[in-house]
Amino acid sequence: MIMRGKKLQRIIILAGIGLLLAALLAQQAVLAQEDGETAVTTLPQPQYHPSFTILDEDGVNVLDSGAPISTLTTCGQCHDTAFIEQHSFHADLGLSELTAAGETGSGRAWDTSTGIFGKWNGLTYRYLSPAEDDYFDLTVPEWVQWYGNRHVGGGPAMYSRDGELLTETPYKPGDIETNIVDAETGELMPWDWQESGVVEMNCFLCHTPEPNNQARIDTLRAGDFRWANTATLLGSGIVEEKSGELVWNAAAFNEDGELSKSFVTIQDPTSENCAQCHGLVHVDSLTPLVLEGCTPDQWSTITTGQIFSPQRMSDSGMNLPEKETLGRSWDIHAERVLECTSCHYALNNPTYYQELSEDRPAHLIFDPRRIDLGEYLNRPLHEFAKGSSAQGTLASELDNTLRRCESCHSTEVTHDWLPYKDTHMTALSCESCHVPQMYSSSRQFMDWTIIQTDGTPRSVCRGVAQEGDTFSTAYITGFEPVLLPLDNGDGTTSLAPHNLITTWFWVYGDPERPVPLRDLRAVWLDGDQYYADIMQLFDANGDGALDEMELVIDSDAKEALIAAHLEARGLENPRIQGEVQPYSIHHDVATGDWATKECNACHGDESRVTAALQLSSYTPGGVLPTFVGGSVAAGGGELVENEDGTLFFQPLTSEQSLYVLGHDNVTWVDWLGALLFVGTLAGVVVHGGLRYWAMRRNPPHEPRLRRVYMYGVYERLWHWLQTAAIMLLIFTGLVIHKPSLFGVFSFRGVVLVHNVLAAILVINAALSLFYHLVSGEIQQFLPRPRGFFDQAIEQTLFYIRGIFKGDEHPFEKTKDRKLNPLQQMTYFGILNVLLPLQVVTGILMWGVQRWPDVAARLGGLPGLAPFHTLIAWLFAQFIVLHVYLTTTGHTPLAGIKAMMLGWDDVEVHGDGHDADEGQLAGATGD
Amino acid sequence: MKESKYIWIIGLVVTLLIIIVPIISVMADDTEPDPTDPWTGVPERRPHVDHTSLIEGPFETGSDVTRRCLECHEDAGQQMLTSVHWKWESDPVLLPGRDEPVTIGKKNQINNFCIGIQSNWTGCTRCHAGYGWENAEFDFSNEENIDCLVCHEQTGGYVKSNSGLPAEGVDLVAAAQSVATPTRQNCGGCHFNGGGGNAVKHGDLDSSLFFPTESVDVHMGRFDFQCVDCHKTEDHQIKGHLISVSADDKNTLSCTECHGGVIHEDERINSHLDAVACQTCHVPQGAIRDATKMDWDWSAAGQDLPEDPHVYLKIKGSFVYEKNFTPDYAWFNGKADRYLLGDVIDPTQMTVLNQPLGGIDDPTAKIWPFKIHTARQIYDSEYNYLIQPKTVGEGGYWTEFDWDLAARLGMETIGLPYSGEYGFVQTEMYWSLTHMVQPKEHALQCSDCHGENGRMDWEALGYYGDPIRWGGRTPMLDSVVPGMEEK
Repeated sequence: MIMRGKKLQRIIILAGIGLLLAALLAQQAVLAQEDGETAVTTLPQPQYHPSFTILDEDGVNVLDSGAPISTLTTCGQCHDTAFIEQHSFHADLGLSELTAAGETGSGRAWDTSTGIFGKWNGLTYRYLSPAEDDYFDLTVPEWVQWYGNRHVGGGPAMYSRDGELLTETPYKPGDIETNIVDAETGELMPWDWQESGVVEMNCFLCHTPEPNNQARIDTLRAGDFRWANTATLLGSGIVEEKSGELVWNAAAFNEDGELSKSFVTIQDPTSENCAQCHGLVHVDSLTPLVLEGCTPDQWSTITTGQIFSPQRMSDSGMNLPEKETLGRSWDIHAERVLECTSCHYALNNPTYYQELSEDRPAHLIFDPRRIDLGEYLNRPLHEFAKGSSAQGTLASELDNTLRRCESCHSTEVTHDWLPYKDTHMTALSCESCHVPQMYSSSRQFMDWTIIQTDGTPRSVCRGVAQEGDTFSTAYITGFEPVLLPLDNGDGTTSLAPHNLITTWFWVYGDPERPVPLRDLRAVWLDGDQYYADIMQLFDANGDGALDEMELVIDSDAKEALIAAHLEARGLENPRIQGEVQPYSIHHDVATGDWATKECNACHGDESRVTAALQLSSYTPGGVLPTFVGGSVAAGGGELVENEDGTLFFQPLTSEQSLYVLGHDNVTWVDWLGALLFVGTLAGVVVHGGLRYWAMRRNPPHEPRLRRVYMYGVYERLWHWLQTAAIMLLIFTGLVIHKPSLFGVFSFRGVVLVHNVLAAILVINAALSLFYHLVSGEIQQFLPRPRGFFDQAIEQTLFYIRGIFKGDEHPFEKTKDRKLNPLQQMTYFGILNVLLPLQVVTGILMWGVQRWPDVAARLGGLPGLAPFHTLIAWLFAQFIVLHVYLTTTGHTPLAGIKAMMLGWDDVEVHGDGHDADEGQLAGATGD
Repeated sequence: MKESKYIWIIGLVVTLLIIIVPIISVMADDTEPDPTDPWTGVPERRPHVDHTSLIEGPFETGSDVTRRCLECHEDAGQQMLTSVHWKWESDPVLLPGRDEPVTIGKKNQINNFCIGIQSNWTGCTRCHAGYGWENAEFDFSNEENIDCLVCHEQTGGYVKSNSGLPAEGVDLVAAAQSVATPTRQNCGGCHFNGGGGNAVKHGDLDSSLFFPTESVDVHMGRFDFQCVDCHKTEDHQIKGHLISVSADDKNTLSCTECHGGVIHEDERINSHLDAVACQTCHVPQGAIRDATKMDWDWSAAGQDLPEDPHVYLKIKGSFVYEKNFTPDYAWFNGKADRYLLGDVIDPTQMTVLNQPLGGIDDPTAKIWPFKIHTARQIYDSEYNYLIQPKTVGEGGYWTEFDWDLAARLGMETIGLPYSGEYGFVQTEMYWSLTHMVQPKEHALQCSDCHGENGRMDWEALGYYGDPIRWGGRTPMLDSVVPGMEEK
């Protein structure tokens, strides 16, 4: 019955949806007819958005005024555009978070915000000068011209820092908001905001299928801010360009002055919309994907190599190594028909809304009270769900609002194969394994300390083995991202894949500022030629041109010359600075088939975890760069400069509180352990050699022997079982410790065997303890206080002296007294100290994922593992000694034979006294 | 306690057992069960007996050879006489909406390529596995008319001419001595050239399969499959059928005969299998090497225009060829309806000659890829049925360019009245795509069908919308098959 009911319910719902759809379609058909034209749309999805009038900023229909569109008033007819603009970090870009220079946590003295309005980036170089400066790079109007290409409008393109409309902000001399730098003189001159207008938030850039972004950017660069949004519509048929002017096309509007239905293409943002500013998106499966070069337009692709596309790499137009075998898509989420907005949704979108469990009373499983679609469409939050990255510092209060991998994916069913799952998942982000390789290229470093004749710096890409005219002819090898700690948002960090981009540049003054680009160009170039003195110093081969090898600041003289030039322009104390900006990578995700899965990828000498990443092929001015502040990644390793001048970043597990079995070791532990082991071995060899030599010279007397049933069946069994377990444990432990030396063994299998053996050892030890306790045999191991030390010394003296003379063993060995005092001491130590310690550390290492807190209190793996290793060395040493001492019986193999067969030939001392009668036992040292 | 020298061996064994047994039991848990091995479904290839020494000539005719074959292979003749390769006709099948079962096949029905063999036997029966089918009187019960060589000879020099007779100059002795299990060369000789030339008809069979690379077909390219590895043959009954000539779903051949168990690692892909045929993803494009005919306009024939076998021929009209086309997709349960000669059509509408059966509410139907071949072909504009014209031979259209005469002669042969009024009407044929199978690296991906750039017309298939968002067809099936949900 319940099933029926559910089905019925679903049928009703589906029928309802169907009816609704039909009604909408019918309505559309009617509307289309009313428009008197066929509504031919290329959109596969039906167009729900109604027709609307396009208004200018005064609310007048643009058909009447001929003025540019005001999105705020036009879209504001139905949507709360003021609310949208006020709740969008895409519009704000740091305006609301402006601080005094140098207080953003980035470590840069000239940064004034966390967004690109006020935050410097080494790729783009130019920066918004702090308001308090008196020498400027970019002021606000020029920032809009320059960085408006990746700004949706609104925010700093519309309002002053005090929240006034820029068109209403009174002119102030020396103020960055109402002035612009004269490119010739470097002096400020007034900017007429009334004339230029402001850039309102551009709805079309994200909500129409083919916005004309280039026309928008051109209009911004021209300073024609008011027209930028209108230019976005060029090519849609709504606006046309006539003799350099943008003119509204009356044919696109109906008689009521509304945009005709067929011109209404408003849509939810697609990934391609996002791609205009964020990176390469390629959803067309039939045309091969080609990356045209290292262009900053495709921002995330340049900074990390990320490409969001369902296309298989083997079908792309790029020249990739072993391309035929690359049957994976660029990004599995793109392949699975997700869009950017599937994860980066508007935070109050009821479809994706995440109810915070802490807000909900415990007795409620679902709270149905939420905003409805109408409210959402009126006031859609344009704060989008975001993760956290090393590079993105804007709107950090929204960090990790998006669903993380584990919010959608259950690892329960998919990662059963992974041993120590929790340990791995705590130490590693999903991306660490699922973004194993970047197949595209990305930027490696920027050298702004030099300027090429076209006025640009040197920028170098990584992952390109061979340059080509275009990227389709270049040979693109990609790169393996470096694993660095990334904040999880809950106070923990996990390793995540990163690209590192290093930038060197000149700074001047105190507090320091980057040398403005115009000054940099001016000190190098006279027109499009280098100054003669620069040429003279840099042109080593005298061919009249500076090639890549020459155009490098690699000597004090070169540095001093450029510094002198800069100083001559009034820039005090010029010096070279370098910084490393980490970019974390969260796209280009692969399915399990392509993820890093092999144990030895990390557990070996060459570990993925510590794979270094090249930062640059040289170090301008010899200046080592520093990590940009505010990113956890900084703490993950060290810079290494190779002899050939290349600079690497080397991650260090020690810096990351990690201990990767098979990769990490504590050097002194291994040295000490090895030394003890080798020392023992050497001692044994010397001792044995001396015994042999002594025996030859001085044959021992034939002892009187008596055959005794020395070891019971169970004693022998537990002994040999323990022998096998310990030997194998030591061997498998060694494989785990140094898997690279034992390539034939599967790491995973060896770990498993090690654990099983350990279990056998522990169980065997427990059972034999029980046996010894119950049978009273335990007394064998307990030293008797009376005369113990004397007897121990006597036994020692025997090993040092007597044994060479062929003396009798000092103590007889009997069934009740099998162990001599030295053995008792040794076994007391082994059984009460070494074994328990090894078992406990082993269990804790195994239990790191079960009881991580307990293990953490004892130092976690970095503390436990070396300790476990040290004890293993001691065990190895014991075995050598133990085996050697078994040979000290009346014949070398007597002891071993006895332990195998149970019957021992024991020496009988004295005058035929029966050895069984309470005399102290003593014999071979097995 | 007795002393035993060999007690230690027992001890050693026990100790080793205590260690090894737990390890093995733990390791064994770890290994995943083997998915069904597809190779178990592939027949073992037995070396064929070399017939060189067994057969001596000389042979005058093909039938001489056949007689020689039948001397040893006594049952083969009777086996062949009941096979479709001989009969060109199916067992009787009851088509939807009809009272009587009918037989379907090349023998008695028409298509929208060269239309039909009746009255044109001599040309069409070049590909018949027999000798001398030149009119309706052909003796189908005579074993000696069977052509053993066309399927079994391996010299490559055996060519058939009119009425299926060996061509002039063929070395019958050499051919007969070379016989072996049929290869792609034997099957492909006819099947890759269906429609009168390479790649014309099927869209998934063409001469690129004679020596296929891995990228043409994974079975034939990567593993060097022969046709008969999948089209398993017993007693000369070859497995497999196509709805162009066989409307029933008997004798079918499916991927799952070899690829069983949990086929894909990805649960999401496996959840498609109830509704999507393997071919839909694994035959992503048609005619990937050689262009195939997509449209044939007979009404344009007879004009003196520049000729190009892929564009226009005076005897045939104009064509549209396409290479690497994206298939059409339709529900298909293995059966098809069939246009039968004499069926009345609506000349204003498209006539489908072999409509695949099944729909979204048919649980046995799956979405299949098809090549749809469209044509404008001759019909009787008074009686409103399609015409079987005579094209080949005396009085045929290809010599006289006279449609009226061709129609009169053709209809006379099949015994249907011809009004003397003819016209041309739009027809369609469905050709399921099932060869040129691509491995997973080249199979369709989610975004090929789903999302804004998908190739499926979901609403035409009967879904509310893209099932990736709207859900699958289970709600549609519920009304038909109770309990589908629980499945």
